[in-house]
Amino acid sequence: MAFNRNKMTQPQERKTRFFDSESLSPNTFAYILMIPAAIVMFGVVVYPFFYNVVLSFSNMSLRHFRDWHLIGFRQYIEVFRGQVFYTVFLKTLVWTFVNIFFHVTIGVSLALVLNRKLFGKAALRTLLILPWAIPQVIVALTWRSMFNYEYGAINLFIARYLQMAPVEWLGKPLEAFSACIITNIWLGFPFMMTIALGGLQSIPQELYEAADIDGASAWQKFWSVTYPLLKPVMIPAITLGIIWTFNNVNIIWLVSNGGEPSDQTHILVSYVYKAAFNLYRYGYAAALSMVIFAILLIFSLVFLKRTKASEAAY
Amino acid sequence: MRYLLSLLLLSFFISSCAKSTLEDPHQIVIWHQMRPDERTVLKEVLDKYMAANPGIKVTALYKETEELRSGFQIAAIGGAGPDIVYGPSDQVGPFQVMEIILPLDTLFSKEYLSRFNPKALVYSHGRLYQIADKIGNHLMLIYNKALLPNPPKTMDQLIAIGEKFTHAPSNYGLVWNYTEPYFFIPFLTGYGGWVMDSLGNPTLDTPAMVAALKFMMELRDKYKIIPKSCDYETADALFKEGKAPMIINGPWSFGDYKKAGINFGVTRIPFIKETGLWPAPMVSPVGFSINASVPQWKIPEIVKLIKYLLSPEVQLEYTRHFDTIPTLESLYSDPVVRNNPIVKESENQMEVGRPMPIIPELRAVWDAMRPSYQAVLGGTESPEQAARQMQKSAVEKIKEMNE
Repeated sequence: MAFNRNKMTQPQERKTRFFDSESLSPNTFAYILMIPAAIVMFGVVVYPFFYNVVLSFSNMSLRHFRDWHLIGFRQYIEVFRGQVFYTVFLKTLVWTFVNIFFHVTIGVSLALVLNRKLFGKAALRTLLILPWAIPQVIVALTWRSMFNYEYGAINLFIARYLQMAPVEWLGKPLEAFSACIITNIWLGFPFMMTIALGGLQSIPQELYEAADIDGASAWQKFWSVTYPLLKPVMIPAITLGIIWTFNNVNIIWLVSNGGEPSDQTHILVSYVYKAAFNLYRYGYAAALSMVIFAILLIFSLVFLKRTKASEAAY
Repeated sequence: MRYLLSLLLLSFFISSCAKSTLEDPHQIVIWHQMRPDERTVLKEVLDKYMAANPGIKVTALYKETEELRSGFQIAAIGGAGPDIVYGPSDQVGPFQVMEIILPLDTLFSKEYLSRFNPKALVYSHGRLYQIADKIGNHLMLIYNKALLPNPPKTMDQLIAIGEKFTHAPSNYGLVWNYTEPYFFIPFLTGYGGWVMDSLGNPTLDTPAMVAALKFMMELRDKYKIIPKSCDYETADALFKEGKAPMIINGPWSFGDYKKAGINFGVTRIPFIKETGLWPAPMVSPVGFSINASVPQWKIPEIVKLIKYLLSPEVQLEYTRHFDTIPTLESLYSDPVVRNNPIVKESENQMEVGRPMPIIPELRAVWDAMRPSYQAVLGGTESPEQAARQMQKSAVEKIKEMNE
């Protein structure tokens, strides 16, 4: 009987011990809760990242697809030796900063407007968030057809109402690049607007009242109250925006139809995509994507540190 | 921490044991790039197959041509992916070099293969890698019978007709996707040029290239019978709306035009008197290849399915719906094929076509042609400069690709 009872209770004891959070140190319990997320992150981020690092030191390509081996820094040397990298990098910088400049300016201005008492505010806000809610692919293809030389809405508008000559949007490098930027500006400002609106609403009203008592003008109120208190909210959003825009292959690829005309509308990521999947240069593309990663990492660290974004505002 | 590590390891052990569908004896996966209307026919024939073969589940997954190509390469690195890939013949070149598809000549008997039109059997380095269920897939002149009862036979006639129909910017005589160099090939060949020599070296800097580019520019800027800029969607829309009586397009568009209610005919792209040549579009089969990672024991099941998909009934089903040219020679005397005027004219165009090279270098040639070709259209390069630049860039890209 004693033997039997012993046998019966043992598994139960073990069971209760395993699930009894009190008997575990708080850290261990936290680790267990993190496991599912950790597994997924490992599978979709950590493993592919290190695989990419390995590939960037390899000669994997069409002729060395199954039998690739490590070749050191050769692919990196190849990346920096080519003229293409520098021109595409420059275009990427223009692309990123023009986009972010307009995203933030338009976003913050609209947020300031929406933060006031305004008739039909809810409807207006919904309308303004709309570009963000539509899938990027649809936005990009819609804009692409709007940029059509003869039948696109934009040229029809320019010709009819502005009495100007139609622009060959998708046929010339500068125009096509501008078309991509215009599309992305339209797509990106709602995000900045939403963030800015959240930031504005958390600024205590008393500060504006105090400023009123001191006789501050609207402009002074903006620079002395709104700007410093909005900054800590906007800096992380801008950092994210820069990283997203820098890496936004969709819009460039779809609006310019893969870098058209003449491969003149590439940014670094679309160029990597082309190198990897059009010419099967996996090693080279991996090295180039590591360079992009390094650029973004250094940028984010410096930017966040310089702007002291992680410090408290109040 | 030890808990965490051991659990992580365990989860990876479990996930690595998870079988890919290649190991599943009851499932065969096909990746294909068929259009939506073709997919409904594919589904019907596969349902029939599954009803006749209980215990086998065939999954057909649609992938866009480029996505299929890159996705299959990536899957193949990990020894996974579909059992069967279905697509145009030019994907055979890179897949063969990467050794991710199986040679088929040992899996299908000589007698069986002899039933096919030789154009349907895609060889690379002396071995068979793809068997097609459709051949052709080439460009031709498609015209709207309601607007144009008698299509042109020569380029001069085409220009004359074009001038009659053109009222810019709403109506044009002729449209096609002229941003893409694939659609330029009939003009290049019409002036006696081709993309590469028999060894795979690009042959782009030639008088033929310059002449063909000049001719295209003349159609646009001198005769003004084609739109100022025209991609696939624009061309397609103008033709469907009856705003252009002629379009250069391939058999993939037939279904769409039928649906749009257009009474269309097809004919050869008109003869160029100046050179005495018929414009020759690239001709390519579309067919089935087998993943090199499929286990040996599964091959008989896969071969059985492919034979079914290549069978006369299935091929005729596609011809009936989409006017495609079948690949079994016995079908050429079948009334469904023989009495179909579109198939007949499509074959007529195919006769003067040239097989699309399947070697991977073609990729680099397209990539090299596209920028300069578009630069000529945009007016930033002269045809002579463009031809030189294309050649230089193609040589460079082929070198990079093969490093």
